Amino acid sequence: MADEGPEKLEALRQEVRAWLKENLPEGWGSPGYVAPERGSKEAHDLGKAWQKKLCEAGYTGFGIPTEYGGIERSRAEIAVIREEMLRTGTPPPAASLGPMIVIPTLLRYGNDEQKKRFIPKILSGEESWCECFSEPDAGSDLANIQKTGVRDGDEWVVNGQSVWTSGSKFADWGVVPVKTDPNAPRHRNLSYFVFDCTSPGFEVRPLKQMTGDAEFSETFFDNMRIPHENMVGEEGQGWYVAMATLEAERGGGIQFVAPSRRIEPTTLGGVDIYVELAKNTKRRGMTVWDDPLFRQRIAQFAIENEAMRHSRERMRVKAMKRQLTGNEQSIGSIFSREKNQRQANMVAEIMGANIQFMRGDPRALDDGSWTYTFLRTRGNTIETGTTEILRGIIAERMLGLPRSRG
Amino acid sequence: MAIEYGLNEEQEMLKTMARDFLANECPMTHVRELMEDETGFDPELWKKMAEVGWLGLVFPEEYGGSGMNFRDLSILLEEMGRAVLPGPFVSTLLLVGMPVLAYGTEEQKNEILPKIASGEAVCTLAALEEDGDWWADSINIRADYRGGHYVINGTKLFVPDAKVADYMLIAARTKRTENPEEGITLFLLDTKEVYGTMSTLLKTMDETRKQYEVVFLNVPISAENILGEVHQGWPIMKQIALHTTAALCAEMVGAGEKVLEMTVDYLKERIAFGVPIGSFQALQHRASDLVIGLEYSRSLMEWAAETIKENDLDAATAVAMAKSFCGDTCKKVVAEGIQMHGGIGFTWDHDMHLYFKRVWTDDNAFGDSNYQREVVAKTLDEIHQLAGGGRWAKTAGRLTQMG
Ligand SMILES: Cc1cc2nc3c(=O)[nH]c(=O)nc-3n(C[C@H](O)[C@H](O)[C@H](O)COP(=O)(O)OP(=O)(O)OC[C@H]3O[C@@H](n4cnc5c(N)ncnc54)[C@H](O)[C@@H]3O)c2cc1C
Ligand SMILES: Cc1cc2nc3c(=O)[nH]c(=O)nc-3n(C[C@H](O)[C@H](O)[C@H](O)COP(=O)(O)OP(=O)(O)OC[C@H]3O[C@@H](n4cnc5c(N)ncnc54)[C@H](O)[C@@H]3O)c2cc1C
Repeated sequence: MADEGPEKLEALRQEVRAWLKENLPEGWGSPGYVAPERGSKEAHDLGKAWQKKLCEAGYTGFGIPTEYGGIERSRAEIAVIREEMLRTGTPPPAASLGPMIVIPTLLRYGNDEQKKRFIPKILSGEESWCECFSEPDAGSDLANIQKTGVRDGDEWVVNGQSVWTSGSKFADWGVVPVKTDPNAPRHRNLSYFVFDCTSPGFEVRPLKQMTGDAEFSETFFDNMRIPHENMVGEEGQGWYVAMATLEAERGGGIQFVAPSRRIEPTTLGGVDIYVELAKNTKRRGMTVWDDPLFRQRIAQFAIENEAMRHSRERMRVKAMKRQLTGNEQSIGSIFSREKNQRQANMVAEIMGANIQFMRGDPRALDDGSWTYTFLRTRGNTIETGTTEILRGIIAERMLGLPRSRG
Repeated sequence: MAIEYGLNEEQEMLKTMARDFLANECPMTHVRELMEDETGFDPELWKKMAEVGWLGLVFPEEYGGSGMNFRDLSILLEEMGRAVLPGPFVSTLLLVGMPVLAYGTEEQKNEILPKIASGEAVCTLAALEEDGDWWADSINIRADYRGGHYVINGTKLFVPDAKVADYMLIAARTKRTENPEEGITLFLLDTKEVYGTMSTLLKTMDETRKQYEVVFLNVPISAENILGEVHQGWPIMKQIALHTTAALCAEMVGAGEKVLEMTVDYLKERIAFGVPIGSFQALQHRASDLVIGLEYSRSLMEWAAETIKENDLDAATAVAMAKSFCGDTCKKVVAEGIQMHGGIGFTWDHDMHLYFKRVWTDDNAFGDSNYQREVVAKTLDEIHQLAGGGRWAKTAGRLTQMG
């Protein structure tokens, strides 16, 4: 699609700016603003409400067919919208799994009814989702899923357990691969379902994680019934559908990401916040910014952010030319997650003793969100496939190295 | 600025053509012959490079060039990096040809550019001195104005391809003021017309690229031979550095990708403990890290080349970012390449060390990765001040974008 003229884009920019002013939560951006506690119902509802507003304003759902509630926008427009959102920051998308993983999975494997039934309500924030993949003995080795599904007329009766299920406490719907053919070999024995979290037999037991809150839970399936029409893809094809989900998750929703065109405060702004922190933090009489070791580390993150931006664009062009296999997602996934962790480590080192203050202590900077991030990023290199598993994918599937023997 | 990601059809052709050309005309056996040669220069090969239009690639047709752009040039340089091509291509085109095109008088352009394009003239730049530092304060050889012309005296070091250069661009000091960036003048010397220069081959690590000490003893040169304005040479030098740095990024990425390919092939072939060593996860994961590093190196390198092609305001930052990242990554790639080859990778006969030396030398030229990162830090500081600072409390939530 051709670029709009600069006036139209500028008008859009002003529109988004005004919209944000109007719609961001009361007090957003002011030092006194206190975000709802992570993992709380309040946070979840705020995320849903935010998604609803984005949808109504036409600021989400780019590139998704309009019949499923999506919207057509040019790349330049998307860039403007994202830039403005980055500039102010927005509430964390508590309901992000729907747009990030369920929509791409349904677009690829869902039938028309499923797409029409589920995608619009994901985009509008009405329904939030969870992903019941991992089990106690099927984490990295996901193909070892033990949940069973037995056909009973028009329904499947599911039994088993998942663990580490993020967002399941408040989710409306879930996705789950289930062993439907115990006699078939690995990778051919699973079928993939979407299910209603209010179904009898589905139980959620919150698990407290190292951040102190309970974002994820154990989830149990006790003779839970799923209508056959909720199977996504063919019977026995579940492993491949699950891989599509993981691919989308590892890509971090590439399809929704648009580049900005120049370096400007918003892009380098990914690190402007660290520059500010370093300049405002004094250590033994000198600001942290004046310490070349820290300055170099901050500059390195600016470089890496730019690198990621351009790599995403390269991938997008390759995808259009159908030169991607899907395994490439591992590159960005490993790099961005490890970068997140390194950034958080740096912040902890800049803040020194003060990184210890958690949410609730009046001395905690930004209501403890830096400390939260420092702790939360430990999970980044584990969730959606550990960085070891992803390195293996690059080695064996991209480089064609022989299967590893440990 | 619209960035072209990926290659268009012509660029794909250029790339394929360059790879075939270099494989046929300058295979590794020939690289090694040229390493043994005192000049590292092969006039036959040079002539063929002129014939395929490489030597005037980015010159307009009126100067005998092919009228292509900087991104095209960077594609060529990637291939040259893969081939560890010896000889004065970078010296001639980047260090002299492009600055003459940008800053030369019509006479200078007419004299030199067609000769470069046709292969008649090899060129080089004499910039660095004893300390090997790329900054204005290190330029101290003098050009004194006496009796109607300048007289150059002093010693330049690390001058590439000096022995075969028909033209030498010299950065000399014509004035000393508080500001070291003031008072540097660039002189364009026709080496066949002057006396008093003496070039001595340096014994350096990367033997695919010959470097020299050049001593100037009362070398007279007329004011007509100044490139740009008197005392105003440093901004031109910065431009040369910018373009050449971007070019070296392309060369490093080309070299790095080739090393990864060679290493992956070796991991599949080499048997130890009864299995291919590529099945050992310790090596698999390290190979994956090189893939990751090279993906981002390439992304930054291509962006940097595009900013130069478009004469974009972001070019200086883009190039600093690219050089910093490509330098760090490619140095790691070549080191890991040797490591994963075991003992054989440490030998003279294996090609790994040629890449290792080329990449480390490239990284060092015009400021290494650490220096470039400091350039980026300065930009961040400026942007921060422009943006007014003081916004961090509002934006902290962004840090937690993942999960
Ligand atoms: C914050 C967070 C949120 C999560 N959310 C969800 C969710 O919403 N839904 C869901 O289904 N799951 C979720 N998970 C689970 C996550 O996907 C798994 O934890 C992950 O796949 C690893 O599985 P595991 O915990 O069983 O570890 P294991 O598989 O037991 O791994 C233990 C260690 O061994 C390594 N390892 C294992 N196999 C190999 C191998 N072949 N080669 C090399 N190293 C290996 C791993 O890399 C890891 O370091 C979440 C996890 C976290 C931390
Ligand atoms: C400077 C130098 C001096 C030397 N001097 C001597 C000497 O005096 N006497 C002598 O006998 N030898 C000597 N050697 C040889 C040296 O001991 C061997 O090169 C070394 O043991 C590696 O063996 P290789 O070269 O066959 O590499 P390989 O065994 O083929 O190894 C290639 C790569 O695979 C890796 N690899 C292999 N197996 C595994 C595994 N199971 N798990 C993970 N990674 C693996 C290696 O770490 C290496 O990175 C010397 C080597 C050098 C470089």
